[in-house]
Amino acid sequence: MSEIKVMKQRDMQQVTAQQRVIKIVAKVITYIFLFTMALIVIFPFYWMIISSLKTLDEYRLSIPTLFPKFIDARNYIEVFQNKDLLLGKLFMNTLYVGLVSTILSLVITVLSAFAFARLEFKGRNALFGFLLATMMIPGELFTITNYQTVNAFGWMETFTVLIVPFLVSVFYIYLLRQNFLQIPNELYLAAKVDGTTDLKYLWKVMIPLSLPNLISITILKMMGAWNSYMWPRLVANDDAHRLITNGLRTAFTDASGNTDIPVQMAAVALVSLPLFLVFVFLRKYIMKGVSRSGIKG
Amino acid sequence: MANESVATKTYFWYEFRKKLSAFAKKIKFDQWKGWIYLSPAIVLILIFTVWPIFNTVRMSLLEGYTTMKEVNGAVFNFGIGNFKRVIDYPGFLTCLKNTVLLTVLTVPISTFLALLIAVCLNSIKLFSRALQTIFFLPYVTNSIAIGMVFAAMFKMIIGGQARPDSVGIVNNVLEALGFDYINWMNAGSEYWANIVVMTVYIVWNALPFKILILLGGLQSVNKQYYDAAKVDGTSRARVFGRITVPLLSPMIAYVVITGFIGGFKEYSSIVGVFGEGMGPVGNAYSLDTMVGFIYRAIGKQEGTASAAALILFAIIFVVTMINLYVSNKKTHY
Amino acid sequence: MKRIIASLLLVVVLLTGVIGSLSSCDWIPGNKKPAADFVMPEGGYDGSEITIKFYHTMGAALTSILTDAISSFNELYPNITVEHQSYGNYDALLSQINTEITVGNQPSLAYCYPDHVATYNVAGAVQALDELVNSTIVEERADGTTETIGYSAEQRADFIEAYWNEGLSYGDGKMYSIALAKSTEVLYYNKTFFEQHNLTVPTTWDEMEAVCRQIKEIEPGCIPLGYDSEANWFITMCEQYNSPYTSATGDNFLFNNDTNRNFVKKFRQWYQERLVTTQELSGGYTSNLFTGNSSNATEGSEASKGTRCYMCIGSTGGATYQRPGNVNGVYDFQVGIAPIPQVDVNNPQVISQGPSLCVFKKDNPQEVLASWLFAKFLTTNIEYQARVSENNGYVPVMKSVQSDPTYMEFLAALDADGKENLTKNITAYAVRVAIEQAENCYTSPAFDGSSVARIQVGFLIQKCFTAEGSDVDALIKKAFEDCVGECNYQIGK
Repeated sequence: MSEIKVMKQRDMQQVTAQQRVIKIVAKVITYIFLFTMALIVIFPFYWMIISSLKTLDEYRLSIPTLFPKFIDARNYIEVFQNKDLLLGKLFMNTLYVGLVSTILSLVITVLSAFAFARLEFKGRNALFGFLLATMMIPGELFTITNYQTVNAFGWMETFTVLIVPFLVSVFYIYLLRQNFLQIPNELYLAAKVDGTTDLKYLWKVMIPLSLPNLISITILKMMGAWNSYMWPRLVANDDAHRLITNGLRTAFTDASGNTDIPVQMAAVALVSLPLFLVFVFLRKYIMKGVSRSGIKG
Repeated sequence: MANESVATKTYFWYEFRKKLSAFAKKIKFDQWKGWIYLSPAIVLILIFTVWPIFNTVRMSLLEGYTTMKEVNGAVFNFGIGNFKRVIDYPGFLTCLKNTVLLTVLTVPISTFLALLIAVCLNSIKLFSRALQTIFFLPYVTNSIAIGMVFAAMFKMIIGGQARPDSVGIVNNVLEALGFDYINWMNAGSEYWANIVVMTVYIVWNALPFKILILLGGLQSVNKQYYDAAKVDGTSRARVFGRITVPLLSPMIAYVVITGFIGGFKEYSSIVGVFGEGMGPVGNAYSLDTMVGFIYRAIGKQEGTASAAALILFAIIFVVTMINLYVSNKKTHY
Repeated sequence: MKRIIASLLLVVVLLTGVIGSLSSCDWIPGNKKPAADFVMPEGGYDGSEITIKFYHTMGAALTSILTDAISSFNELYPNITVEHQSYGNYDALLSQINTEITVGNQPSLAYCYPDHVATYNVAGAVQALDELVNSTIVEERADGTTETIGYSAEQRADFIEAYWNEGLSYGDGKMYSIALAKSTEVLYYNKTFFEQHNLTVPTTWDEMEAVCRQIKEIEPGCIPLGYDSEANWFITMCEQYNSPYTSATGDNFLFNNDTNRNFVKKFRQWYQERLVTTQELSGGYTSNLFTGNSSNATEGSEASKGTRCYMCIGSTGGATYQRPGNVNGVYDFQVGIAPIPQVDVNNPQVISQGPSLCVFKKDNPQEVLASWLFAKFLTTNIEYQARVSENNGYVPVMKSVQSDPTYMEFLAALDADGKENLTKNITAYAVRVAIEQAENCYTSPAFDGSSVARIQVGFLIQKCFTAEGSDVDALIKKAFEDCVGECNYQIGK
């Protein structure tokens, strides 16, 4: 009996040692994998930064340099010296449009996703299917019709025209619906028995639990304001409403329509920086909040 | 006379209210609540999505329709000529083949990679925050930069000697490993090499978003399941297969389904890498896609563009239905 | 699941049902009628407050020149306010105006290429300028001077004829656009290298072939000639051979003929012998091959320069890119600029590119008139024309600008010490050569589809040069046929 026990113990020890080795190897592989992928994913960002530090001549080399021959900060100076650019105004316009459309869009998305994920009503699945179907038609064709619509509304050259048409995104509603569906339905039913209202339940349980995705949507929506240029150029290309990407795209072109890309990159890097810092901070802060409150699932 | 009419009116309203309340009882308030919650979304979608779709259908059924001609007062025949035109396009099958091929290649690869990265990111403690930030960086990167990098990686600069002046970073790596370099995207490059380039580019482009979504999903997953698994001493692979994937399945379904929809609409990435020719030099339109075709027709032949958009819609619709059918069976809510 | 499909099918059925009735309704956006044709008001511009919208593609430098021009214009016409917006590039400008036309929001005046005007014309949105150009009605200006609404006989004679004719290339004999500034293609060559090896600058394509072979013997690894744009090459060769390219009326795409296939076959041979390359075919700017700016290796070492071109055909608009690097003002080599080679030196043909202006139809004739007066001001104002040319190497449309003292100083291309320095002042040098060529510029027909032809013949050259196979003639024939087919398909024929 005791012999068998000892053998078992030895086995167990061996097994745990083996497990420990496997665990360490797995960790190492995980890190190697993550760092390699990170390197690949970060490359365009790196490219943007080094391009902003190159001279135009070096940038135009047929065989691009992986590192600038010499760091040239002149591009950044030029961005600030270009008095026609109104960088501050562009930035404030974009910030305003970004913030307002993000907040409104979040409210609409959360309400819609909640309805699709938790409320029972006739036509729910059909409506959801229909919304999904609208995603399947290439939107390139919608531009002219939407232009005519906003023109009929008298929205040309206003902030409204930059904010309202793209407030609803089926893409995000669908995302959040899936996220809400991950939360066990028992919680909702329990809350109903307790007499909690839907909105309270949404606010106290659903939103905290899906914060990571809500943050993702916020980031994407804000970046949308930063990167959009086709629609804004079409409907509000005046000084009072012009958004950042549009301002940058037209400011540094020569007569033949060639863009001084290094200066443009410098400008892009400059205006992206505050946004980036805000998000890093926001993400960190909210993640902390999530782990502190604990997921009470 | 007057009294009579008042009486009739009152009676009418009485009846109406009675019917209304009966109706309300029948459907319950719950029925309305869903629609109320959805109303802002529905109104906006009706105006800015459904209305343009109406117009798309209209344009597709007017033969030879162009916006410019319509402004000038031209009248078009009602018919299915535009659809015929799309199918008769000599490159139609090429468009279809490329669209399907790129989607089928990129969606599984990018989903799997993103899932792997997200799970790894979620499992580590050291550097976890720094790495998460890095995987977020592509969002603050200008798209021009992304296109440029790609040229640097794959493009050759063809010189006067037998050997190119530059072969790109990827070929440098291949050479260092002892392989011959490959003509990825220049004149005379092979179709499969072009497809490899596009697959890498699209996967790369799609990765950050998918990681973000899947990581968000993972962080919403109840940690108790993992704690339970730890106590039981379940192996990592088993935890991944039996806990992570099922609990994450709504998010995976989302990423796959939207990936397919987006994949079928692929266009701008090909223009970003290969230019307006949508193919290597000397072989224009060999990488053409459905939306590439549609985009070229906008501003010239909107009727044809609309018809092609509806054909594409039909294809995506069928594929999404299959996707939904499969995912409804496999998804764990 | 079944419900989703059922309801979607229902929606599709509903849609098709509704569409039939919709197609004739005019509450559909886009069914707005275009503005009426312009009728010259008696007495011309009445001095009323008019705001005109001017769309262009100018970057910061040109915009500031424009702003100055607007202030000068306002000294003459204080009641005409010019609001201007830049759309950065021509494609953006085109799609902007195309969209705006659908609701009648188009600007009063815009930068344009003739191809674009042809597109706007499909909607009947562009104002024919003939009545304005020829009007002899006299306008009183705010500074006390007068001018006729149209060009005076003197101004008309001063306008470079070839540039003027571009405005008449729409197939109906009417003028829809007026040239603002034009660039052209020239041959940049490595003067130092040419002198060193006693080479003569080619004036014909036969001479060009000979020179290329000579250079190839001197340096077998090089590609003697770089040609920036395949499309320009094809179109220019059609003109030089006097062979059909396109037509604004009837059968549009006429370029599939023996002459054209033959020159393409000849140049294919050149390309395969590595006598010539283009931007797309080489994978990098041809100007980089010319300046030796293509490599990232350490500067100075000869091997680092990569493959070289000793001649490069490119636009005068991009002259500065053809300038080699310098160390303390000493350039790697001296650049020479000459006209491009010709088929027949007695009948030279060169391309012209660059912005024109078009005026859009408006309900208020005063707005059209005000736009025209501003367009006329920009084309005739010496200060504006000269400064634009100095900035980017475009040729002023008025010959008299060339005798303006400040402009002559620019054209002299002098260094600070009073010596001519053509390599340093390469823009001035390029403009000089372009001015000599100005009257040789051809114009190709502009129609709804001329831009399609331009893009497709570029692809055609690429295809014909690189396609592999034993029967070259059959390859080229097939490529030409496919190209015409694609062109016709894209414009709906």
